[in-house]
Amino acid sequence: MSTLLEVSGLRVAVGGKEILTGLDLVVRAGEVHAIMGPNGSGKSTLAHVLSGRDGYVVTGGSVSYQGLDLLAMAPEERARAGLFLGFQYPVEIPGVSNVYLLRSALNARRSARGESEIDAAGFLRLVKAKARLMQMDESFLQRGVNEGFSGGEKKRNEIFQMAVLEPVLAILDETDSGLDIDALKIVSNGVNSLRDPARAFILVTHYQRLLDYIRPDFVHVLAGGRIIRTGDHTLALELEADGYEQILAAAST
Amino acid sequence: MAPSTMREDTRDQTGNRRPWQVAAEQLSHTASGLDWLTERRTAALVRADRLGLPDQSQEEWRYTSLTPFARRWLDHLAGARLPAVPEPVPPTLAGVFSVDIVDGMLCAPLLATPPGLTIQSLQNLGAEWRTRVEALLGSAVSPTDTSASDSLIDLNTALLTDLILVTTEPGASVAIPIHMRLQATAASALCQTRLLVDLAAGSRLTLSLEFTGTAGVLVNAVSQMCLGRDSELNLVRVQALPDDGMLLESTSIEANDSAAVTVTSVDLGGQLSRQSLTVRLAGTGASATVHGLFLADGQRHIDNRTRLQHEAPSTTSREFFRGIAADHGHGVFSGKIIVQPGAAGSNAALTNRNLLLTTTAEIDTKPELEIYVDDVRCSHGATTGQLDANALFYLQSRGLDLSTARQVLTAAFLRDSLTGIPLPELRERLEARLESRLQAQTGAAR
Repeated sequence: MSTLLEVSGLRVAVGGKEILTGLDLVVRAGEVHAIMGPNGSGKSTLAHVLSGRDGYVVTGGSVSYQGLDLLAMAPEERARAGLFLGFQYPVEIPGVSNVYLLRSALNARRSARGESEIDAAGFLRLVKAKARLMQMDESFLQRGVNEGFSGGEKKRNEIFQMAVLEPVLAILDETDSGLDIDALKIVSNGVNSLRDPARAFILVTHYQRLLDYIRPDFVHVLAGGRIIRTGDHTLALELEADGYEQILAAAST
Repeated sequence: MAPSTMREDTRDQTGNRRPWQVAAEQLSHTASGLDWLTERRTAALVRADRLGLPDQSQEEWRYTSLTPFARRWLDHLAGARLPAVPEPVPPTLAGVFSVDIVDGMLCAPLLATPPGLTIQSLQNLGAEWRTRVEALLGSAVSPTDTSASDSLIDLNTALLTDLILVTTEPGASVAIPIHMRLQATAASALCQTRLLVDLAAGSRLTLSLEFTGTAGVLVNAVSQMCLGRDSELNLVRVQALPDDGMLLESTSIEANDSAAVTVTSVDLGGQLSRQSLTVRLAGTGASATVHGLFLADGQRHIDNRTRLQHEAPSTTSREFFRGIAADHGHGVFSGKIIVQPGAAGSNAALTNRNLLLTTTAEIDTKPELEIYVDDVRCSHGATTGQLDANALFYLQSRGLDLSTARQVLTAAFLRDSLTGIPLPELRERLEARLESRLQAQTGAAR
């Protein structure tokens, strides 16, 4: 399998404080990686810095995405190259409809690949099919982006957008937080239906519960800004049973 | 009058000529057939002369100077008009009844006005309407409660060459919107537009006013609207003057028992524009909804002052005003809700949101509540800021470049204010014009 993402010795500071302290991670096509860790371990910082958010200063290391220097790319260039960030707190944008955002986003990707804009009928078929997958009412398409959505609806909308945009690498930041069990199933089902030998996922999560529905190939424990342990899906169960303390203690000895 | 005396009369203490005196002299040679108005005009001119033009020492004119306006008025009176290069007249809208008013005058006789509606001008004013017109002209300025802006109304009364009276029949629902295109041309030194709207009980009307003009025009517009019991007015007002045009506008609306008025105000042109909008909720259960939007880009100075006055019990007002400023534009919003002692059970809310697209632009906002009774629900708030960084990043993370993301968010900000315009074609045209201006803005800015 080809390597999609290679993070080497990544050091990142926020407001003068170092949050990532030399992080290594390799993600190949077809894989699902779960990044777990206690609060403040740097999970969300990793998601943000990979997606290109402002305010994160890279002080060392490198990130290569499909052979490109990811850190040199603008957020929109990353998106057009197939990177997708599922937000922990999706933003409400009244006045911009969901359908407008999706068409703009899809056409930006297509144009970056040298393809023509999607025709109206094809676009509508696509979004309707994906809305069904996510069990979302079609009427929401005309509403403002996330406008008046509940927390669960917002997360569902993130996965719906991902389903329409069909990214190469999806980073889902705490997608499970704030979801009830039904919504968690729908969201997991959306992610599972997109699993593909050419696609990879990074699930950033605090709890093991999401991994009951999406079985990861690798589980990484992030602490103090570095990955201190890597295992298969059973590591998540171990964490659930014993908590982070034992692993943290083991790592420090 | 001896020439020496006259010269003295037309100058103020600093030696500047008073433009209204010059204008009145010029007018007396041309105006005819308005004899019944003479007394009122003379009184208005005397009052205006005493008050002078509003100046920045008066709180409500703090941010807006009329010096360039007065200077250009004098230049125009002296004959130094700009060449009459006609601005392209906006295309006619489908599905509306169009009325063209050029330099304040109804320019052609109206044929086939929609049923239930009458539009008259001074020249063809029915004798039975004269008393009503006189009463309206007389009540435009309160004899006791004077305001710094009254001289603009008095000047209009003193110097108008025509007025337009729009009336409805009791209970009439005027089926199609009336679209008034108010054009100012180089033919008038200062275009005086006077509009009187009188809605009979139970009638309904949609009226849109679009101010346009040729290069360098000056306009002083006064509108008085009176809504009878249970009547409904949906008013759209668009200021689309050329970039060097100047507009001073005083509008007062009186809503009687259970009458409802909706106002959508849009400023997208002009060098200087100052609108003063007063809505008096004078009858029990009357209601007002005001949506405003201005785009102060380039060198534009746009000042909107609104007063929503609750005078009767159980009256409701909702006001949403939005402003965008860019380049060296300057926007001013001052909105006041006044709840008078008789207005128990009233409900009022005022929101003002502003967007600064460049650091060189300025917006001054002042929302105010003045409440003289306990049993009311009132809220007000104002914010001024840049585009939301989280929303910008969200759009970028979906593949939109920064300048497109800025454009999309700015367009969304203003689109909200236009949704209430009941003329779809006009709304779409305004959206397109505003968005193309913002496109130039966001494309150039970053």
